[in-house]
Parts: sequence; C-alpha cells; structure tokens
Amino acid sequence: MSAGRRGAASVGTTVLGITALVGVGVTVGLGLALPDTREQGEYARLIAVHPPIAWVAYVAVGVTALGSALWLWPRTRSSAWDVLAGASAEIAVVFTALTLVTGSIWGRATWGVWWAWDARLTLTAVLLVMELGYLALRRVPAPRSVRATRAAIAALLAAVVVPVNHMAVDWWRTLHQGRSLVRPDPGEAADPPFVAAMLVGFVAMTLVYAWMLWHRTRVANLEEQLEHEGLRAALAERHAEGRAQIEAEVAAR
Amino acid sequence: MSYVVAGYGVTLLALAAYAAHLVVRGRSLRRRLPPARG
Repeated sequence: MSAGRRGAASVGTTVLGITALVGVGVTVGLGLALPDTREQGEYARLIAVHPPIAWVAYVAVGVTALGSALWLWPRTRSSAWDVLAGASAEIAVVFTALTLVTGSIWGRATWGVWWAWDARLTLTAVLLVMELGYLALRRVPAPRSVRATRAAIAALLAAVVVPVNHMAVDWWRTLHQGRSLVRPDPGEAADPPFVAAMLVGFVAMTLVYAWMLWHRTRVANLEEQLEHEGLRAALAERHAEGRAQIEAEVAAR
Repeated sequence: MSYVVAGYGVTLLALAAYAAHLVVRGRSLRRRLPPARG
C-alpha cells in the first residue's frame, strides 16, 4: 500500500463490506425462515450458517497454502505472498473455531452430545491445532525469509488435512451427516429452500472472508511499515548521538 | 429454538468482534505512523 493512500478508506473495501453485511443479513433471514424438517425439526435451520463457515475455513487454509507455495517457489517468491498467507491463516483460525462451535451446538441439539470423537470432528480439531501451530511458528524470532519458509512448510502440511476432512464422511462411518450440498444419491438431496439458504450463506461468508483478508493484509502491511519507521527513527537517533559525540570531541581538542 | 439462536448468535458475535478488531487495529496503526511524505 502506498504511503499516500494510508489514511484513505478504500471505496472497494467499503462496498465489499456493505455487500458482505447485506449477504449475512439475508442468510440469517433465509435460515431462520426455513421450515422444520422431519429428521431434525427446527435444528435444520443451522444449515444456513454451519456449512458456509466450514467452507470458508477450507478456503482460508487453501489461500494460506497457495500463498505459501508461491513464497516457496523461487520464481514467484515475494514477501507479499508470505503476508497473504499469514493473514489468511489468522482468519482460518476464526472460521475453523466457529465451525467447531456451531457444529457442537448442532450436535448437542440433534445427537444429544456436544462432542464425539468422530472422523470429521476430530480432523477439524486437528486442523485448528495445526493452524494455531502455524501462527505460533510465525512468531518465533528468526530472519524474515527463514520464518516465512518454516511457516510455508507448516501451511502446506496443514492443507493436507482439508481434502481428507472433506472426504471423511465418505471414507469412514461417522456420526456426522454426509455432504450437505452435493450428495452422491440424488434422492437424498436437500429441499430447494435449504439449498438456496445454504448457497446464499456460502456467498455471504466468502464475501466476509474477502473483506477480512483485505483488512488483515492491510494491518500486516501497516505493522511492517511501523516496524521500519521505528527502526529508521532509532538509527537516526543513534546517528545524532554519534554526531554530537564527535562534535564534542572536536571542540575539546 | 435456543440451539438455533445460539448457533446464529455465536456466529454473528464472533464475526463482528473479529471485524471490529481488524478495523480498530488498522486505525490505531495508521495513527502511530508519521504523516505520509511527498
């Protein structure tokens, strides 16, 4: 970001934020207006938030992995990719934690338990721990390129969990229900109002993610700028001290 | 109904809290930076 635009609110991010907010409002409205179902009663209304949140958690991990791969690839290596990966990872933590919390609430309502050591739930918890480990690794003091490389490798390892977690409900017998949107058996497909609410939820949460990524990246760039300014000020102070010392020595002679 | 409200409520609260954190942190950092040169 250029120094000149530092204080100016971007029109793009404002429009994105308002669109995301409207999308979330529509999702909540559609979700709460869904009818009761025979299998889950009123609790099926959680379908408008839980799968979209889980989707964004996957997207955020994917963007972190993409940024990390672009950092590791010598031809595309740029600190911007490392910043993007770090920003997306923090958002991934928020959405993965929310996936676990909303899933736990849904599980308590329909299964009668807050938690089960089910493949889908356990892998999501593993993903959260790996994301937290990634963020911790980024805070370990090291030269920038070393830190970015370590973090990038951790991000690629964490990304492996995503496809396994997605397929977990097909590969293992789980308490968690099968895929919400694309079912292997067309006869099991959700009713249109549920699919519509879920799709609006997917779009709204993706817009929220995009807005957050924009702002988190900007915060990371500002932090970096502040660090450079602090370093520059410290060097200028040290130079001034040195100059004053030399002048005092010359005057003493 | 309380589980449904809890699911939606926790989602909206968490997203709003994180979004507010990003905006406040960005503003605080901008204030700490010296005015733009040039």
